[in-house]
Amino acid sequence: MTSSVYGIMAEFENPEALMDSVRAAKRKGFTRIDAFSPFPLSDLAEEMGVRTTIIPWIALVAALVGAGIQYAAQYWMNAVDYPLNVGGRPLNAWPAFIPSTLIVAILWAGAATLLGLLLILRLPRLHHPVFEVHGFKRASEDRFFLCILSSDPLFDDDEVRHFFETLSPKAVREVPACG
Amino acid sequence: MTSHAQARTSKIADIPLRRRFGAIWWIALGVSGALVLLLGYTLASVTIFGVGVWGVNIPFVWGFDLINYAWWIGIANGASLFAAILVLRRHDLRTAVNRFAEGIALFAVICAGIFPIFHLGRPWLFYWTFPYPATFQVWPQFRSTLTWDFWAISTHVVVTSLLWYVGLIPDLATLRDRARKESVQRIYGVLALGWRGSVRHWAYHQRAYRLVAILVLPLILIMQSTVAFEFAVTLVPDWHETRQPLHFVATGLAQGLSIVLLVAVLLRWGLKLGHYIDEGDIDLLGKLVLASALVSGYLYLDEFVSALLSDGLAQEATFNRMTGDYAGLYWTAIVYSVLIPQLLWFKSARQSTIAGVFVGVSIGVGIWFDRFSIIVGGLQTDYLPSIQRTYSPNLAETGLFLGTIGLFSAFILLFARFLPAISMFETRHDEHEEKTS
Repeated sequence: MTSSVYGIMAEFENPEALMDSVRAAKRKGFTRIDAFSPFPLSDLAEEMGVRTTIIPWIALVAALVGAGIQYAAQYWMNAVDYPLNVGGRPLNAWPAFIPSTLIVAILWAGAATLLGLLLILRLPRLHHPVFEVHGFKRASEDRFFLCILSSDPLFDDDEVRHFFETLSPKAVREVPACG
Repeated sequence: MTSHAQARTSKIADIPLRRRFGAIWWIALGVSGALVLLLGYTLASVTIFGVGVWGVNIPFVWGFDLINYAWWIGIANGASLFAAILVLRRHDLRTAVNRFAEGIALFAVICAGIFPIFHLGRPWLFYWTFPYPATFQVWPQFRSTLTWDFWAISTHVVVTSLLWYVGLIPDLATLRDRARKESVQRIYGVLALGWRGSVRHWAYHQRAYRLVAILVLPLILIMQSTVAFEFAVTLVPDWHETRQPLHFVATGLAQGLSIVLLVAVLLRWGLKLGHYIDEGDIDLLGKLVLASALVSGYLYLDEFVSALLSDGLAQEATFNRMTGDYAGLYWTAIVYSVLIPQLLWFKSARQSTIAGVFVGVSIGVGIWFDRFSIIVGGLQTDYLPSIQRTYSPNLAETGLFLGTIGLFSAFILLFARFLPAISMFETRHDEHEEKTS
């Protein structure tokens, strides 16, 4: 459990090998693991217990708040604070208030979802320890990586390396901690 | 598989990283740049001298400004709608088309936004449409369609640009990792926001992306309807029709698809992307354009039948568009947006680059004439003889229109030069799925 190491990373050639390794790591009892891939792997995310259900909730709540604010603002401005009689038409003209209410609901939902996404992912960030690993650049192209973090309660340098060797990876490398 | 996949997607990545880009690109950018200068000149003249420099006058208070606005919005909405449907259906075509279809939507909505702002006459006061606590204690009138439009355009710009950018992040990371020069690495690195391809990140990314794509569907329908309501809620007989939103949504989709087809064949030819936008993709796009042109044809028929069924004034106004001084606009619209696209019934036409460009431009031109016909033709028979005149755009308006075309093509050229035109991670994903299935 040295603090100068972020974790140990193994490189694989295809997503199937990565999937098998994640399963093996879980069987071994490792809990603080991270996997990297050049394209989305929904099965693997499920295997790793990633729950994304918060995303639609963010959208729903933001849409309701946005719609509520927009409708209330229109009502207050046009019917209460600055009532303008146009040919005796009702001041609270709800059908006329609907289009921008719906549009602004979508504005809030869309912006909250995508900005919330960045917040959840803790992005943007200028640097991350994994970028120090030689060859990690290919994680954005055609290589698959599994990293066991040093914060894992079962983390032990030799043991993790030994465990990775049993999976026949392409390479095993140490991820140095930042600064 | 891996070395193969790398070879394939790296080709897309290497396009933006190329040092040189060829003379044609520079010439095209030069022409677009000249048009952008023209845009700046015409915008400056309308800002300094006012809308009097345009050819608009009562009853034609809406001339080129609204025609071109409605036209650009049609392209933006059509392209957005198409991209959203592809994502939702998880259709294979999305890999090839989505990235630049969303780009087209974004660039077109920027061009569209210029017109209503400068049409205000005092464009620097455009923020008055936003409800802010002004010292003179008035608020915008939300019963007016013009305020709906403000929300619609700004929402479209915000949501489309966010969606497009979030979709680009993983590919920007690939560019960062493949760039050789450090300055280039830094630029793409900052733009990629530190994306590292964590499986957990991918899961959230995909969920959010799909969800916002769902949101785009109602947004587009409401927005295009809002544009149509601007006409439908007025008392002008030919405009005051409940069929107006349907007409704008459906012809807008045809227009968006045709521009997607146009850009697809040009990118395929210019960037040599035949492998990624393959013959099947172009064939399918051609069929979609054909289908949407048939829907436009159906709507022209509906316009005619609606006119037959309506009362005297509305009937007279619609027939005047078909037979009056502006009849040429109406029939040109039908020829270009309905008849010429029938070429796409032939397989050889669907697969030919020249025919793709021809039909893509043709529908764009046709729907432009349709908007011209609706806006100017609808206003032409006024009921005071003293103001019965005709409208034709003058140089200031034509320059403004050409300027936005230049702006749009400059955006497309810069996009093709500096960003991956095809989604690389979707391409990898598809290849993996193909291999495992």
